[in-house]
Amino acid sequence: MAKGSGSAAIQANGAQLSARLIVGALMVVAIALMTVPLLMTAYMSVFADGVVTFPPSGYTLSWYGKLAEFPKFGQALGTSLKVAAAATLLSLLIGVPASIALVRLSFPGRGLLNVLLLSPLTVPGVVIGLGLYVLLVEVEIRSELPLTGSDGVLILAHLLITTPWVVRLCVANLIQLDRSIEEAAANLGAPPGRVLWSVTLPMMRQGIVAAALFAFIVSFENIEMTLFLISPGTITFPISVLQYLEYRFDPLVASVVVVQTAVIALLLLAIDRYVKLSKVV
Amino acid sequence: MSQDAYLRIEGLTKAYGATTAVQDVNIEVSRGEMIVLLGPSGCGKTTTLRLVAGFVEATRGRILVEGEDYAALPPYRREMGMVFQSYALFPHLTVAQNITFGLRMRKLPKAEIARRLDEVLEMVKLTPMADRYPRQLSGGQQQRVALSRALAIRPKVLLLDEPLSNLDANLRQSVAREIRQLQKAAGLTALMVTHDQDEAMTMADRLVLMSEGKVQQIGSQEELYEQPLNPFVARFIGHSNLVAGELVDADTFRLPGGAVLKLAGRYTQRGPHTLALRPERVRLHGPADDAPPRATVQVEDATYVGGHVDYLLGFAGGGSLALHEPTGASGSARRATGETVTITWDGLSERLFGSDDAAVAAQAA
Repeated sequence: MAKGSGSAAIQANGAQLSARLIVGALMVVAIALMTVPLLMTAYMSVFADGVVTFPPSGYTLSWYGKLAEFPKFGQALGTSLKVAAAATLLSLLIGVPASIALVRLSFPGRGLLNVLLLSPLTVPGVVIGLGLYVLLVEVEIRSELPLTGSDGVLILAHLLITTPWVVRLCVANLIQLDRSIEEAAANLGAPPGRVLWSVTLPMMRQGIVAAALFAFIVSFENIEMTLFLISPGTITFPISVLQYLEYRFDPLVASVVVVQTAVIALLLLAIDRYVKLSKVV
Repeated sequence: MSQDAYLRIEGLTKAYGATTAVQDVNIEVSRGEMIVLLGPSGCGKTTTLRLVAGFVEATRGRILVEGEDYAALPPYRREMGMVFQSYALFPHLTVAQNITFGLRMRKLPKAEIARRLDEVLEMVKLTPMADRYPRQLSGGQQQRVALSRALAIRPKVLLLDEPLSNLDANLRQSVAREIRQLQKAAGLTALMVTHDQDEAMTMADRLVLMSEGKVQQIGSQEELYEQPLNPFVARFIGHSNLVAGELVDADTFRLPGGAVLKLAGRYTQRGPHTLALRPERVRLHGPADDAPPRATVQVEDATYVGGHVDYLLGFAGGGSLALHEPTGASGSARRATGETVTITWDGLSERLFGSDDAAVAAQAA
């Protein structure tokens, strides 16, 4: 009997051990999947050859010195940062009040508004991009305004994909805030506007920062929708990379991507100093 | 109905569609009095408090403070200081900023704000914590910040929603005493909500026992314990044996199983009634007992629990009764299971309720 239970315990231990091994292996695979492409890109950016070949004939940092030669590097990065910043700001202005209304108020059509605000997440970017393009052309023909390719249109289009993220993160944040804290403010004499400004918004800080971050990244890295809406004169950064790769495959493009990744990483680190990102995302 | 009540709640009703959370609640509170709303969860006590605070809009009724109706005012105009169950401290503000929030909303002069802050910090002994954030404080300290935040605005009425329920058991008593002292010292009129009977008994000047949205009884601790108005009160406050039976003559109560009890009082009513008896007021009948034996029962179980022996007694033909006999004093030996004993009680210890649940008075013997 004792022997039987002993071997059962060993079996249980064995099962536990193999479960741990499987989980560990899966984690290694997942981490590799995420980091290997990044590491490979960084590795390629120091290849000496003009065409990426493996193994390289030597190593050089000279590609980083030639960043300015990357076609439209400055313009593309500038457009991307400008569009992402504007789309983030505008989607916060729309999404934060909308999420407060969705969570704290009850009004007819609340469910519908919720669905409408989140629905762009469920539509492929290509579909949105194509739809917008067709619409813009029609409007352009009738109004004779130069809409396609303007920054304003690009920003408005990006709002479609950034606002759902803002609403989603702010709603999640608001739901877990203790409602009685706002009641306490009212109880102490704060009218509704004051409660919102002095209590609700400060308490939402983490959610708002997370929302801004997501909105910025979603806008910055968008390709599929943006493809339909740019003009040859103004392109965004991811599209400039794509276009470059159509004709050439040298380490310059890798170094450009490394620089871009570093910029975003620095941005995240800076935000993390003020709001612990591990807490909000 | 006194005319000079400081706070009067009149016909207060809150209906959510077809369900009525609070139904026709009438409470009168004198200045400086602490009223505790007590009852099981879902009885409407918290809704009543939130109606007074203004977080819930009343369907009907008035909330009068010194004759002025507050029922239609928004919460931020009511001047009622509330202590929340979760404390509801502002997490992004320091202790001092939390306490002065209400004063800043009132746009008091800076010097006055500073003076009152010092005063309440002193009162709750939190002066060294003024610049900390709520998350850096213990539960007891957070509770004191919540209390002093409510006291700082010098509220017309202090509202306390389960103020002790988030504290460790060993802290509760001292915090309860502290709240009571502060409330008395400030001469504040207070309404408190709790589901905990001991807490209610210790803190209250008077109790309001609620059930199913209605007030069951308002009165002092003694009144609720000694003269419950209906079986619910008898059962909720302390313990009561509730025995269903029939009044067959002035002092005979017959159980459905046939057992007969001789009552201490005389009654004119007849028919089905419920008899309420406190386990500690029933005693085993001894030869030296003044009172006559009232019923013969069989010991079904006897458990020694320290302060008393907990007897479960069965009537012939069905029905049972709990009896608590104090240990030590009487020196009587514990009765064995199966033994037949007689029991008795004094006149004021029995309480009869009619089939409409209303208390039935005994005639003077």
